[in-house]
Parts: sequence; structure tokens; C-alpha cells
Amino acid sequence: MPGLFDTLNLAMRSMQAQQTGVTITGQNLANANNPAYSRQRVNFQTSDPTPTQGAVLGTGVQVAGIQQIRDLLLDNQLRDEGSAGSFWTTTQGALENTQTQLGEFINGSAASANGASGTNSATSAQGLSTQLNNLFSAFQAVATDPASLAQRQNLVSQAQSLASAFNQVSSRLAGVNSNLNSSITSDVGSANQLLSDIAGLNADIARTESATGASANDLRDVRQQKLESLAKFANVATSTAADGSLTVSIGGIAMVTGTKLTDTLQTYDAGGGQLQVRAATAGTSITLTGGSIAAEIQTRDGALATLRTGLDSLASQLITQVNGVYTAGYDLNGNTGANFFTGTNASDIGVNSNLGNDPSQVQAAGIAGAKGDNAVALALARLSQTPNAALGNLTLGDAYSHLVTNLGNSLANANEQVANQDSVTSMLTQQRDSISGVSMEEELTNLMTFQKAYQASAQIVSTINLMLQTLVNMKST
Amino acid sequence: MRIAGTSYTDSLVTQLNYLTSQQFQLQGQISTGQRIQRPEDDPAGMSQALSLQADSSSAAQYAQNISTLQTSATTASNALQQLKTISDRAGEIATLADGTKTPQQLQTYATEVNQLIQEAVQVANQKNGDQYIFAGTKTDAPPFTATTDANGIVTGVTYQGNTTVSQSEIAQGTTVSVGAPGENNSGSGPRGLIADNRYGADFFNHLISLQKDLSSGNTSAIAKSDAPALGKDEDNLIYHIANNGLVQSRLEAGSTTIDNIATADQQSLTKVAGVNMTLAITQLSRAQGTYQAALQSSSVLLQMQQQVMQYL
Repeated sequence: MPGLFDTLNLAMRSMQAQQTGVTITGQNLANANNPAYSRQRVNFQTSDPTPTQGAVLGTGVQVAGIQQIRDLLLDNQLRDEGSAGSFWTTTQGALENTQTQLGEFINGSAASANGASGTNSATSAQGLSTQLNNLFSAFQAVATDPASLAQRQNLVSQAQSLASAFNQVSSRLAGVNSNLNSSITSDVGSANQLLSDIAGLNADIARTESATGASANDLRDVRQQKLESLAKFANVATSTAADGSLTVSIGGIAMVTGTKLTDTLQTYDAGGGQLQVRAATAGTSITLTGGSIAAEIQTRDGALATLRTGLDSLASQLITQVNGVYTAGYDLNGNTGANFFTGTNASDIGVNSNLGNDPSQVQAAGIAGAKGDNAVALALARLSQTPNAALGNLTLGDAYSHLVTNLGNSLANANEQVANQDSVTSMLTQQRDSISGVSMEEELTNLMTFQKAYQASAQIVSTINLMLQTLVNMKST
Repeated sequence: MRIAGTSYTDSLVTQLNYLTSQQFQLQGQISTGQRIQRPEDDPAGMSQALSLQADSSSAAQYAQNISTLQTSATTASNALQQLKTISDRAGEIATLADGTKTPQQLQTYATEVNQLIQEAVQVANQKNGDQYIFAGTKTDAPPFTATTDANGIVTGVTYQGNTTVSQSEIAQGTTVSVGAPGENNSGSGPRGLIADNRYGADFFNHLISLQKDLSSGNTSAIAKSDAPALGKDEDNLIYHIANNGLVQSRLEAGSTTIDNIATADQQSLTKVAGVNMTLAITQLSRAQGTYQAALQSSSVLLQMQQQVMQYL
């Protein structure tokens, strides 16, 4: 039969257990707004009973452990979706920047192009398409009034404006390319830091769990957070070892094994300053399929490269086609053989500098000494309607429109993917939060439960205390 | 389902972000009247808009071409009417100068014809702006130069222009030519205004011949050769007047067509890129209402959480 002190110990163990419950509840409430935190739960179990004659008496309660409430499947899904989400968000951002730098917008407040109706209408105010249209209109104007110096001057101005627009767009898109390369370098650095942190956390977790025999819940939370951050840069694969350490692989190459950082990511120039990623130690090139680094590489080498190449091709064909016709023409002074455009692509296209100083040198005539002849100017104007084999049998204007549409399609697709990913991530996050997140109502209710249990146990202590006093008083009397 | 505390705020933030983005987009559409502002808004629509804009730009230039050509055609028409008047008077003189007229009367006619020649040269050297309209494409120099003797009698008129004319587009693939070469005796190409051997036209030389025959009193030659020759010149002028009228009609019709095309292009652009205001405003109102409801519901949830803590 247990004595009063045994019961006192029982109450004490209960108070300690309830106090642990309050502590964990406090921990949960303190981390209620910490997205990386997984709620913890105190697991109680009855303490070892005391066998007595004729009965086995309980000794109360004890804390069996503090459990972290996590769903590994959801964790992995969220990590992978984070990778996909980051890929599309980064793609969206890069393409939005590309779209902005291209500068092809419809300005609803721009005046009507022909001014005939006197009403405002939808026109593209600043884009290359308008500049291209203006050039061919200027060729038409010269063809209609070939001896007019004013029309020739206007033609030269429009051509200079178009060339300048090509140069600026080309330069701005090169800037986007350069920024993406910088982002790749920066992201690789961040990913390497996270890999190092995870290796360090693996060591901390192994050490802590080995020493205490209990789960290092908070460290595991931090590691999971680092892993999810890493997945935003590059898609990762993981496996957990028996000692709780996490092996992290990227592109099939183990980067973190146990407590060691076995490899890191490294950028290298694959030619033309276009950075790619490889494993620094293994030296193997890595093809990433998710995360921001993959998005930066794919956008740079995909939509952006297509746009830049297309613009260069467009400018090149404009130069070739115009000069091909123009060179045979005659200016107002009877001279021939000069080129209209200089350069070879969008970055260096320019207008024959002599024309800016003296528009009479525009070679608009098909024969010498005939200032009213417009054969060449008319042929140049008609180039706007001529399909070009080098541009997929599209006219110059249609080829440009095709480039704009391609970019728009890429960005619209990215927008859709981001929206989809947001939905998926949001749902998964809610699912995980429903398991791992801290519920204020639940914790406050638990707090009340522990508090009442504590009070009840304290009441037992008081009762035993009174009983002991009674017992002591019996002896003294 | 168990709901974590952060789920409320996360969900609210996501929803508010979505609604704010929707309101921003709709507000942009309503304020600009444009459904499509960037390629991403509607790539296919953007392509259509760019194509329509190119058409609209071409139409605007064709309209300007037509306006320029109309001015030139009107100037040419005036000159042709003046040449016709001169031709009429020359033909009349050729008819009047028969055997019944005295030498003095014939000499008076000869003097008048000489003045008609000089007037005709002046008219044939008509300019539109600073361009000579009957010089072919050598528009920078007077096409006709008269040579006179010591008495001021025109003995010859030399043509210094060429036999080509420029074509101008008034619609895609449609060209017109307003001017005419002063002379074309090459046997091919555009019809000469003053002289063209295919049609027996040689106005100045025929006038000079008439003037000479009037001075010499050779009424027989006037009747037999000068008058018929001048008749051919008259026919040639009538051809050019008719052709000019036809060109002006084409320009007028072209102008109407281009205006219609420009209007249609603008309407199509508005249809493709413009916003349906009624729909957009309705959607904006709905988004604003939902936004307010979301805020209201979050406020209620916060109050509920406070109540739980007060209960403690």
C-alpha cells in the first residue's frame, strides 16, 4: 500500500507534466506566426506502477516525449511545388522585364494615326512597330513627292528614329540578358550557402538527438525551412538517413551527405558569357528543371534569346533589303551607289551619316538626272508588303508582330502557370497548416486544460499536506 | 478540417492580393479604355492590333499621297484647260484664215498665233510647287524653251524633259500617274502632251507652221495641212483632259475608300484592343465588393480570437 509520500510524488509528477504541457503550449503560441514552425505536442504516459500486495497501483503521469506534428509527404510536396512556383515566378518576372524593355505597348490615349476622324484611338505609341510603319510611310511620301527636300528630311529622320529604337531595344534586352546572368551567379551563391547551412544543421541534429535521445524538433524545423528555401533556387531530391541527417542532391549529384558538404554549385561560361551551372567538385554540368536558376537560364536561352535573335534578323533583313534596292538609285545630284542603312543587326543599325546633313543625297530616283523620278522610293515603300524568305516568308512588319506575339504568349503562359502554382501552393500550405500549424483556439484550450490539471494536482499536494499535518499532530498529542 | 491561426491571415493576404491585382487591372482598363495594353494581355489580340495599326498607318499615308496628287492633278487640269483654250483659238484662226482674208488680216492672225505659241509655252512650263508638271520626271527645269528671231517670232520650241512619268501608290498595289511628259516621240511609253508621233500631235510645231503660213498668206497650206494637224493636237489635248479627269475621279474614289478603310481599321482596333466598359465596371464593382467583404470577415475572425483570449 502506498504511503502519503508516494501520493505526494504522484502529484508532483503530475504538476511537472502539466507544467511541461504549459511550456509546450507557450512554445506553440510563441511560434504561432512562424511559417517554418511545426506545432509540438506533449505525449503523456502513465508512470511506472508500483506493485503492492493484491494490487498494482499507479504512480501518476510522466512526459513520454515532445512530438513534432509533421506530414513528410506534404513537406516534400510543398518543397517541390515551391521549386515549380519559384521557376514560374522568376520566369514571369524576367519576361515582364523583357516585355517592358521591348516597349511595345498599345497606348489608348494616342491620337489617331491618320487624324481623319479626329478621335482618339488605339495606337502603339512608342514601339518598334510604329517606327517601322513610319519609315515605310516616309518612303511613300518621298515616292509621291520625290523632289521634296522636306519629305526627304522626314524620311531620314524617321529612319534615324527607327535605327535608334532598334539600338535602344537591343541594348536594353542585352541588359536583361546580363541581369539574368548576374541573378544566376547570385542565386548559385545563395543556394551554396543553404547547402552549407543544411550540412551544418544535419550535424547539429545528429549531435543533439544522439545526446538526448529525443527529436531535435526546432532544428528540424529550421532545416526544413532551409530545404524549402533551397528548392526555390534549384529542384532538389532528398533522403533521410537513420541518424536523422538529410542527403540533398541536385541534378543527381549529392551535395550534402550526412554532416558533410560534398559538393556545391558553380557557374561557368558556356560561351558568349552565357552562364551555366555545374557541380564544382564533380565538374558535371547540371540541367536544372525547377527553381529560379533554371528559370533564369531557360528564359535567357529561350524567349529572350528568340526575341533578340529575331530582332537582329529583322534589322539585318531591313538593312539588306533596303540597301539592295536603294544602292541602285540616284540622288538629286545624280550620284548613286551609296547605302541607306549601315550596320548588320539591331545593335548597330544606323543611317548613312551623309543623309542627315544633306537629304538631297537620298537616292530616290531610278534614273540619273530626273529629280521627279520615284522608282527607287516606290520600290522601297513596297518592301513593307514584300514577304521575306529569311523571315519565314513574312513581311518585316508581320515578322516583328510575330516576335511580339511570341513574347506575349510566353508571358501569358507564365502568368497562368504562376496563378496555378499559387493555387496549388496555397492549398498545400493550408493542408500542411491544418496538420502542423498552430491553432490559437486549440492552444488556448490546451492551456486551460493544463492549468486546471495543474491546479487539481496542486490540490492533491495541499490535501496530502493536510493529511501529513494531521498525522504529525496525532503523534504530538 | 483543423484551421491553423496563420491560415486565416495567409488566406486573407492571398485573397486580398488577388482582388487588388484584379482591381488594378480593371482600373487600368477602364481609365485607358484599353483591354490590351501589353502583349501579355492578349497575344493574339496584340498581333491583330499591330496588323491593324500597320494598315491604319498605310491608309494614313495613302490619304496624304492622294491629297498631294490631287493638288498636282488640279494644277495640271488648269494648265490643260488653258492649252485647250489656246488650241481652240488656233483652230478657229486656221478656219477663219481662208482665201477671203486680206494679207493684213492674215498678218494680224499670224501675230496672234505667235502670242498663242508663247502663251502655250508658258502654260506647258506650269509648275506645281517648284516642280514642272509636264517635264516627265525631269521636274527641276522648264521642259519647253522657245527660240525667237530678231522680230520676236517663235521659230522653234525645244523639249528638255524626258518621256517617263512617276507612279504613286494610292492603295496597296494601286498606282496612278498625274503628270504627262511634254513630248514623247519614242514610240512607246506614256502619251506626250504637246507632241507624240503615235497620234500625230506636235502642237508647237503645228502652231509655228500655222504662224508661218499666215505670215506668207499660204491659205491653201493652212487648210490642207495646218488645220488637220491642229485637229490632231486638239484630240491629243482632249485625251489628256479626259485622262486628267479620270485620274481625279480615281483620286476622289481612292480618298473615299481610304477614309472608309481608316475608319474601319480604327473601329476594328477599338473592338480588338478596347475594353467593354459595362463589363469592366461591373467586374470592378464586384471585385471591390468582394474586397470589402474579405476585410469585413477578417475583422470578425479577429474579434472571435480576442473573445477566446478574454474568456481565459
